[in-house]
Amino acid sequence: MTKFADIIIEDAPGKRVLLMGNEAIARGAIEAGVQVAASYPGTPASEILETLALAAPKLGFHAEWSVNEKVAFEVAAGAALTGVRALTSMKNAGLNWVMDMFMTLVYGGVRGGFVIAVGDDPDAHYSSNEQDTRFAAFYGEIPCLEPADPQEAKEMTRYAFELSERLELPVLLRSVTRICHASGDVELGKIEKPERTPVFDRHWKMPWRGNVYGPPGPVEKHGWLHGQMPQIKKLVETLPWNKLELRGKPTFGIIASGLGASYAREAIKALGLENKVAFLKIGTPTPLPEKLVERMLKTVKSVLVVEEGEPVVELQIRGLAKDMNPEVKLLGKLTGALPSVGEINTDVVTHALAKLVKRKLPQDQPRELIKAEAQRLIAPRSSTLCAGCPHLGSYWALKQALRKAGGDVPIVNGDIGCYEQGGYGMVGKEYKPGSANESVRHPIESPYETLDTNYIMGGGVGLMQGQFQAGYKDGAIVGVAGDSTFFHACIPAVLNAVYNKAKGVFLVMDNSWTAMTGHQPNPATGKTATGEETKVLLVEDIARACGVEHVKIVDPFDLKSTTEAIEEALKSDKFAIVVARHVCTLQAQRMKQFVGKRMIFDRDKCTGCKICVTFGCPGIIFKEGKAGFDPILCNGCGVCVQVCPTGAIRVEG
Amino acid sequence: MKGKFSELNLIIGGVGGQGSIRASHIVAIAAIQDGMRARVGETFGAAMRGGAVASHVRIGKEIFAPLIAKDRAEIVLALEPLEGLRNAVKFLSKGGLLLTNTRAWMPVDVNIGRAEYPSLDAIKNAVEKLGGKFVAIDATSLAQQAGNVRTINVVMLGALVGAGKLPISVETLKQIVKENVPPKTIDANLRAFELGFNAIQQS
Repeated sequence: MTKFADIIIEDAPGKRVLLMGNEAIARGAIEAGVQVAASYPGTPASEILETLALAAPKLGFHAEWSVNEKVAFEVAAGAALTGVRALTSMKNAGLNWVMDMFMTLVYGGVRGGFVIAVGDDPDAHYSSNEQDTRFAAFYGEIPCLEPADPQEAKEMTRYAFELSERLELPVLLRSVTRICHASGDVELGKIEKPERTPVFDRHWKMPWRGNVYGPPGPVEKHGWLHGQMPQIKKLVETLPWNKLELRGKPTFGIIASGLGASYAREAIKALGLENKVAFLKIGTPTPLPEKLVERMLKTVKSVLVVEEGEPVVELQIRGLAKDMNPEVKLLGKLTGALPSVGEINTDVVTHALAKLVKRKLPQDQPRELIKAEAQRLIAPRSSTLCAGCPHLGSYWALKQALRKAGGDVPIVNGDIGCYEQGGYGMVGKEYKPGSANESVRHPIESPYETLDTNYIMGGGVGLMQGQFQAGYKDGAIVGVAGDSTFFHACIPAVLNAVYNKAKGVFLVMDNSWTAMTGHQPNPATGKTATGEETKVLLVEDIARACGVEHVKIVDPFDLKSTTEAIEEALKSDKFAIVVARHVCTLQAQRMKQFVGKRMIFDRDKCTGCKICVTFGCPGIIFKEGKAGFDPILCNGCGVCVQVCPTGAIRVEG
Repeated sequence: MKGKFSELNLIIGGVGGQGSIRASHIVAIAAIQDGMRARVGETFGAAMRGGAVASHVRIGKEIFAPLIAKDRAEIVLALEPLEGLRNAVKFLSKGGLLLTNTRAWMPVDVNIGRAEYPSLDAIKNAVEKLGGKFVAIDATSLAQQAGNVRTINVVMLGALVGAGKLPISVETLKQIVKENVPPKTIDANLRAFELGFNAIQQS
């Protein structure tokens, strides 16, 4: 196997390799000689730091999984303040965590190049919202680069360090899922060796540069910030990623930013409009190449603006058109020419474009009808936890404990991680909106219907306190979170619960890995991003240090004791934490720490009660009125034996 | 196939954990090796295992978007039949090929009785009505025969090559398979490739 770690650090300019967008971003940073990289895992951006962590020990730079995005941002910013090149990467929501430092760091900026690489997620494939982080670049008055493909992702990342040093400000690199998780042939460039010596001068070019309160103070520094971006107005007109293709006197134009440009090119090709429409490709949504925009607006009669996310470029074009050519007709997300939610793709752009240029797309109506009929055959495939997942045990135990001691309508507050699937529901089931004025209990048919609320990292343990302080009395109040989420965002909320005397049960499902984003290590793992051994931090130690008196540790593979521990916690008159600890089964298998058992599903003893099916393990199947297991999926954890009331499920021997 | 080739749009569909993404990368790397451009768009859910996964592989001379437009995939290669149908209905071109494994991976929705799993015959019927070609092989058994059930993806790649549907040489593809699987599994993967290759000749 050609080691990917070797490919990514190969100093072979001109070589073409297949790289995922995230890997290309990492490679861009490597080529730029990055010296410190810090991140917290989050889909679709995780592979940026994963790739850098592979390269770091070999090239001699630092790469770390920080405890959360805010800390990661600060680690990278601190490095950039000493003049070395630094990168932080995160998913869309991760940027929300860093805003405090982000909005203040720009008052004085940085000395070494500082790149903030963000993976947005239009269509919310892996995210709780569709936020467009390009807006943050406006908020912080920094440039934003937006690639159209993996090659550009690499080139832009490399260039972003240079631009950052020129402006002495961080630069935002905005990617989206279809760049982050798309692969393409990428031509490698030369690698700069990371060998700058960190230096520090608190008055470098500006007094009290890294101390926002130091004279001249925040207002003066805000003024300095206002003066930065205008310096690159001319420069952006000539960047290779901003390009106007204008031949003859076309009446119709397309302005397309980032990935939108790739879709727009496909649409032009599909409709045979090459050289018939003006095309302005945008790689810097801020600052826009205004001269190029002006040439376009003064040539054509109407323009379609194509971009992924919110109408960030479109809004600016609207503003510019007032002075440049008020007659031009502007179309895009604001006018309904393109959908305002979800992601765009080649089909969406082709249809929008065909309508605007009055081209008829070939339609095969009879085939569309056959497709609609075939569509009815397609069973949904709801997302599930993996076969043998310890969270299945935790959810089973929680359900049993709530049945016994949870009151009429318990509230279970979820959080972000694999266990959030406890709130994904079943695609094959219809859920109707209610209108009752009292609390309503809803049945839990599978673990995937457990979570009543779920928003963001660390949100649940805070919400549960509000429910308690509001005086909710119709049932128990519970929060669940994983180990990595606990370290990331739950600790202040736990302290708050103790300090403000909130009650409720906080179930921490500790599988010792940040599993959902691809098994990154965290403080519970005992390993760093680069695989070095480090101290293992225990949830219970921190909980006790936060003043929590009722702390219990259980193994979720033991359903009885886990159920009892949760039940006892529900009855406690204090804020209680139950740590359900069992290493992620996939990781245990990979590390050869897991020996599966041979399972027997006895068809004669099975009464078809389906209780084992409601356990929710994808290894358990139900056919012809009886339960069974899929011998390929089942890994023989044997936990389902404890669920079967008739003894039909056993372990061989 | 090679002479007038300008573009191939292939979807590799399956369930999370079956190796469809690895398979799509193997095809793309091999295409790059043979001098073409390549794009792979991956679509998968949040789950590590068990969710629907589809990789859009595009190889050719002039390619921009990472995803295939609807009705534009010449081939859907399915590691699991339901996922084959899911992708074929949306993406398979008229006259395209659905090449699928026969072994089902039951969705939890079917297990709890909230949905029904379509029979292979129903899938075949639907694809043929859409003007597509349907070929199925028991790749799971062949992978077990090759000595490692996790080689289903390579069995299916072997079948794809055996069907003469890739503008990439068999040698290049085998070489890229070798370079992109764990060293201990190279032999099993090469056996899997041959078994898939031969199975398609007989079907």
